[in-house]
Amino acid sequence: MAWALWAAAAQALDASAWQALWADPQTLRAGGMSLWTGLASTALTWLSLSRLLASGFIRQQLGRWLALAPALLATPHAALAIGLVLWLSPSGWALRLVSPGLTGFDAPPPWLSTQDPWGLGLILALWLKELPFLLWVAATQLQREDLRRRWQAEFALAQTLGRTPEQAFAQVVWPQLAARLRWPLLAVLAYGLTVIDMALIIGPATPPTLAVLAWQWLGDADLATQAQGVAAAWWLTASVFGVALLLHTIASQGSLLQGIAQRLAVLRPFRAPAVATHRLGQSGLSLGLGLGLGLGSGSGLAWVSAWPVFIVVYGAVWLALAVGSVSGVWPFPQLWPELFTLGAWQQVAQSASTVWTTLGLAVASASVSVLWALAWLEMAPRRWQQGLRPWLLLPMLLPSVLWALGLYSLALHWRLEAQWLGLLLAHGVMVLPYVVLALAPAFASVDPRQAAVVASLGHGRWVYLWRIQWPLLRRAIASAWAVGFAVSVAQYLPTLYVGAGRFASVTTEAVTLAAGGQRTLMSAYAALQMLLPVLAFALAHWLGRPRRFEKIAPMSAMPLKPRP
Amino acid sequence: MSAGLCVTIDRLGSATHALVQGLRLQVPPGEILTLMGPSGCGKSSVLAAIAGTLASVSEGLVPLQFRGHVQLDGRELTHQPTHQRGVGLVFQDALLFAHLSVAENLLFAVPRQLPPDQRHARVQQALQEAELVGLGERDPSTLSGGQRARVALMRALLAEPQALLLDEPFSKLDAALRTQLRPWLFAHVRERRIPVLLVTHDPHDVADPQRVVHLSAINPESPTHA
Repeated sequence: MAWALWAAAAQALDASAWQALWADPQTLRAGGMSLWTGLASTALTWLSLSRLLASGFIRQQLGRWLALAPALLATPHAALAIGLVLWLSPSGWALRLVSPGLTGFDAPPPWLSTQDPWGLGLILALWLKELPFLLWVAATQLQREDLRRRWQAEFALAQTLGRTPEQAFAQVVWPQLAARLRWPLLAVLAYGLTVIDMALIIGPATPPTLAVLAWQWLGDADLATQAQGVAAAWWLTASVFGVALLLHTIASQGSLLQGIAQRLAVLRPFRAPAVATHRLGQSGLSLGLGLGLGLGSGSGLAWVSAWPVFIVVYGAVWLALAVGSVSGVWPFPQLWPELFTLGAWQQVAQSASTVWTTLGLAVASASVSVLWALAWLEMAPRRWQQGLRPWLLLPMLLPSVLWALGLYSLALHWRLEAQWLGLLLAHGVMVLPYVVLALAPAFASVDPRQAAVVASLGHGRWVYLWRIQWPLLRRAIASAWAVGFAVSVAQYLPTLYVGAGRFASVTTEAVTLAAGGQRTLMSAYAALQMLLPVLAFALAHWLGRPRRFEKIAPMSAMPLKPRP
Repeated sequence: MSAGLCVTIDRLGSATHALVQGLRLQVPPGEILTLMGPSGCGKSSVLAAIAGTLASVSEGLVPLQFRGHVQLDGRELTHQPTHQRGVGLVFQDALLFAHLSVAENLLFAVPRQLPPDQRHARVQQALQEAELVGLGERDPSTLSGGQRARVALMRALLAEPQALLLDEPFSKLDAALRTQLRPWLFAHVRERRIPVLLVTHDPHDVADPQRVVHLSAINPESPTHA
């Protein structure tokens, strides 16, 4: 990993490239567009996350909602963006539904409704994609038995101290949960600032975001333009860290925000206890939302229905991809295609190697990453784990264009470019942090005394791992594998670069086709891109299903201790 | 060569701070020694040192270090891994494995050298002794607190330990259950003729008033691990 970064860094020491970057009239506007879309989508995601979790936690529906998060998480970025385009484009379903009746349009209007110059489509797509990710990370925490019990007890306690349920969540549960979501939030921010595949499909075009611009320059035949692309990639990296640092500084200005919080607390019917405000102050990011939660609790009802709406949007995207992939002739104002055809799917079937490449890479990189993560979490001392964690999560935080560049240089050096092994390495690096993120909370919830009990029964280490720990973590391991699979399927740039054009995956095909006019084939690839991870998640769900014990006979015993 | 459990603790603690110093415990076979003291004085760490689980059980980032000797029936245990010591361990939480049924939890402990029908017979006998006949196929989380505590003890005994350590085994139960469980537990462990070390902070738990050791905290200000 360090080598890959070093390789990318070595190419950045070119003063003329930086001059060219600043002289280019597109740079400033593209950079501004990146900042706008990244920050707006992150803020929107964070705000709706806090509201969704609050209303779900208070109404005890979180478990049911979070069970669906993996299905949403499995939808790859590119497939989601393509599905949105099928709805929002001038000839999309949204306008077909109301044409010509309401609008009077007989032909698609010349609107820029998908690649709009304000980046609104991209912000929408990012929001739809990142909210399930953060929800899923929150779920990995909330599914820890120890945490869940403690938080529910504290939540109940806060209400006995005179807080409304909304206040109790905002002051007691959310600050603790939010602090655990800090790294994933940073990953969301970094992704929003540097995304390429989504921005290519649904982002603004003139100028595009800086990430897309850097990618276009890197693909240029001219060496000077390429160097300019490298400089842009580094500039993008710098802006990610700049924004992160800025947010961190704001967050750590605890005293200032604490003062505001206390003043607001005085205005409310109760005084927030010093401890709670202090905690809020410590994680200032959550404070802003803690306040938002407390003040905006009146609109809580609206958020109960937000989750079903969210599911409906995803359902609409899936439907659009499914119908789009079998549509033949489809003149504009008609709601349904005149002709259905399986031609696109036949074409997909003919390029079976694309599917096998995707599947093989996903299975291999997910499996290797899970094995590696298991070994790491099992054997590495906790101090190492905490110290090295930021480095492990680095692939989530750095722009993919920078990674692709570094990995490509590395692959060239080791003669792995356009090799299957090189692709596996590139995918593994991107998959690993997600797998570790998925497994770490489950590992942390294992009672260390359990290992002591097993050893005292005369069993060695392997018996403990094989018969106790791994079976207990089966569900977490299976879902981590599925997440890794989905992340691998969604990879665009690493496949493109390290594969050196010789390996096509379902994702590279879908993104490439999105630029052309072959709606049906594009939809088919996008639908397939979505289907593969969904199947992986279904498999994981089946593998991780809880064991069924003998039913309790009605008369034999009432459990004396109430079950949670 | 002395029979029973013989523990000498020169020093037990982190690099900077000692929890227990200069402690000697001698437990003959068939006897129950009670180790008492306030929370945080290092009672549980003494058990971890005897069982050899200091590295996995200590909660802080820095594992506790142990200097001293542990001998069982003349056998030196100090540097042996836990699973070869023959020392059983029961915690205040039953710690039944959630993915195994009650009977499978018990079967897990039965020595694997025995033929299968004998192993199952032992599980059935243990269920009988724990007054849990017919509950073998149940999910352990559906048992009551007292039932779980009995399964945990039976599981420890099925592994045929040569010594048994009990870490506040009654502290999660209510008063009525404790008075029921104490004589049952003491009778079962005495029957095995093995040395037993019981850790508690409740004077009612004392098994044998002749054999009680009080442990005082060396420095109550120190960060605790109990």
